[in-house]
Amino acid sequence: MPTMTTIQQLNRDLADKLVEEAKLNPQSPYVGKKVGIANGQVVVAANTWREVTRGLEQAEPDPAKTFCIDIGADYSTVEMIWEVF
Amino acid sequence: MARAQWPLLGDRPVIEIVLTFAQGGQRVTRTLLADTGAGSMQSKFEILVDENDCLLCGGKPSHSVSLAGAYTGTYPLYVIRVEIPLLGFDDDVPAIGLTTPPFGLDGLAGFRFINRFNYGNFGNPLAFGLET
Repeated sequence: MPTMTTIQQLNRDLADKLVEEAKLNPQSPYVGKKVGIANGQVVVAANTWREVTRGLEQAEPDPAKTFCIDIGADYSTVEMIWEVF
Repeated sequence: MARAQWPLLGDRPVIEIVLTFAQGGQRVTRTLLADTGAGSMQSKFEILVDENDCLLCGGKPSHSVSLAGAYTGTYPLYVIRVEIPLLGFDDDVPAIGLTTPPFGLDGLAGFRFINRFNYGNFGNPLAFGLET
């Protein structure tokens, strides 16, 4: 049985793979979608986060075994927080 | 049209959100600095809150996000349920999990979240509000 760390890594690896595939193939079914992954498998692709979380909750009750990704987002950019106090 | 307004806190604009804990369904109110300088419309996150809140709410993990400026480094991202009852707002939004929220506050509402609404003082300089 895969350990938690293994499952989390499987989820992240799959998410990275989906992002790369979507970049290379505009016909990918995941282009422009928010995707929910559980236990190393895609369980939902939708237009809203709520649809994704609902799908994940039905598939896997433990959030630590799930992963969400916005296929269209660029997670490599640095976000600026201009001011707190 | 609905409007929610909150008094300035330390002369700063704030909003209140409601989170729901996964275990037991307890609802808790969190006060966030309304910070239009936090992120942009292209940001991967909408709010920044204590990571413990993200976990207690059963937040679904997402890709980590790199921040610069007032918060620097790589932070975990979760998708959590956020409500603003006065506005009838109830949605799942991407939230950065902070280890150290700003002093005296529970977190920040970034530009992408604030900009979901009409926002401003609506004629009261001692308050900040959101309007649908």
